[in-house]
Amino acid sequence: MKKLVFTLVIGALALAIAPAWSADQADQIIRGQYQAVLGDCAGCHTQAGGKPLAGGLPLETPFGALVPPNITPDGETGIGNWSEADFRNMMKSGIGHNGVRLYPAMPYPAYTRMNDSDIADLWAYLTSVEPVSNKVEANQLPFPLNIRLAMLGWNALNFTEASFQPDSSKSAEWNRGAYIVQGSGHCGTCHTPKSFLGADKDSEFLQGASLQGWFAPDITNNAQSGLGKWSEEDLVKYLKTGVNAHSIASGPMAEAIENSTSKMTDPDLKAVAVYLKSLGSDAGNTQPAKPDETRMATGEAVYRDNCSACHGGDGAGAGVLFPSLAGNSIVAQGSSETLARLVLAGSQAVHTADAPTTPAMPSLAWRLKDQEIADVLTYVRASWGNAAAAVSSDDVAAVRKGLTQ
Amino acid sequence: MASDPPTQVVAGGWHFFSAQEAALVEAIVDRIIPADELSMGGKEAGCAVYIDSQLMGAYGASSRLYTQGPFLPGLPTQGYQGEANPAQRYRAGLAAIDAFLKQRDGKTFVELARAEQDAFLTAMEAGKVDLPNGVKGPAFFGLLLQNTMEGFFADPVYGGNKDMVSWRMLGFPGARYDYRDHVSKHNQPYPQPPVSIIGRPEWLGKGA
Repeated sequence: MKKLVFTLVIGALALAIAPAWSADQADQIIRGQYQAVLGDCAGCHTQAGGKPLAGGLPLETPFGALVPPNITPDGETGIGNWSEADFRNMMKSGIGHNGVRLYPAMPYPAYTRMNDSDIADLWAYLTSVEPVSNKVEANQLPFPLNIRLAMLGWNALNFTEASFQPDSSKSAEWNRGAYIVQGSGHCGTCHTPKSFLGADKDSEFLQGASLQGWFAPDITNNAQSGLGKWSEEDLVKYLKTGVNAHSIASGPMAEAIENSTSKMTDPDLKAVAVYLKSLGSDAGNTQPAKPDETRMATGEAVYRDNCSACHGGDGAGAGVLFPSLAGNSIVAQGSSETLARLVLAGSQAVHTADAPTTPAMPSLAWRLKDQEIADVLTYVRASWGNAAAAVSSDDVAAVRKGLTQ
Repeated sequence: MASDPPTQVVAGGWHFFSAQEAALVEAIVDRIIPADELSMGGKEAGCAVYIDSQLMGAYGASSRLYTQGPFLPGLPTQGYQGEANPAQRYRAGLAAIDAFLKQRDGKTFVELARAEQDAFLTAMEAGKVDLPNGVKGPAFFGLLLQNTMEGFFADPVYGGNKDMVSWRMLGFPGARYDYRDHVSKHNQPYPQPPVSIIGRPEWLGKGA
């Protein structure tokens, strides 16, 4: 709906100030608006309830806080005095107007793969939005990390400007998916494990990573920890609606779905699914040891009394309202961080045009002790065909601590 | 906040009752629900602990009720219509019982034999004892009976129903809310044990 309204507004503006924008320019702005959807610019640069793209909430990185700046065309506080060349250079190299070096919380290591025409469209769109005066102090890192020149060294070690390299042996659809996932979609920013310097470990591309108190799961086709049990249709449905028979999106992914993937075109979502389903391998999978029977019995008792009413005695869930825990990819991750967080804090599904119901899971932090949560998660992770490692009460305690800080 | 989850009321130390009042209430709840082959008695089940806790809270102060006058006699179906809140009624009622018994028998309720306690409570319920200070025996007995049953059957989180004793007695499964797996299993006992709002012993592997 947002998109429709936006399109209408742009259309109306184009009519009202026809001399300023030609039809070609209007088309380019609309294409650029879609690039902003693919890149989820609003996810970071717009605060909930705030003016579009006028600056976001602080991103808590392992190195300190960075605040997404105002990227409206305001001359004082936004990017109104940038040139298109500045913008293109920033997207490709992480070096902005006046040579300011960006931190890779801005996912230029992914955006560098965007092609010039998409970047030009995005620029056309960004220059068309309402300028907002909002001063943002983007760099709140502690010394010495706050010295932007340090990024010169980081980039030398971790970054090469690149273009997307199509694979001619693959279909056009696969290549389109790869272009979105690696480039504007910047999926790896969350889903790829990071080195101690905060750079993507390319050898573990999209195999799952911990950030901001959540575990962004493995989204390769790995049968054990990834999307191996999902069909392409499952994946498209999840990205479009936030819900499918295997999972309901939570946390940062719910936001990404709301702002970005739910607004992507069906062919693009299909392309993303085709590409993701082609990644990963099951070669390294191992079967974790069976948890001990006492913990399984305790976990089952906790499960019966707290979880089964919605998720079913057999973990099968109930359609799109209550996710199945059997074969659930969040359950299957090596890390139990997101699982423990869901039990402790609860979660509510994201509102999308195709799935407006937003079923919720309550917080159980008040009712269950760390050991009880560890036992029930251990039970769930080792039942109904699931085979993920046992969870310790220390694991749960760490998540609880993170939530109460 | 109304949405705050309940916290476990634990026995040990009285919050509303004096030691003497607590002993009297424990003796009364143990006659209303005596220990027998079906269950433990009201005292061991924590009914007095439950009542003590309730009288300290919103119930005792009637803080969720309209409590302004005029105070007119109500119909029997309208329940208590007086000015006093439950905390005040307990304070006055318990004092009246001991004052009456001391004058009549030279003993407190706690010191009476069980048969004498039962006889007194029966007479009080029937309006056959004249309690001092205007305390109405049947009404106060009704309050004691009501609160004792609440303590015995309510969730253990509120201080009574120790070890879910009444739920085990009845076969009530407690704080559960989904029976889809059992709806079609006619004439079969429900297999799950009762569970309290704050859990059951099996959660920590302690056994039933």
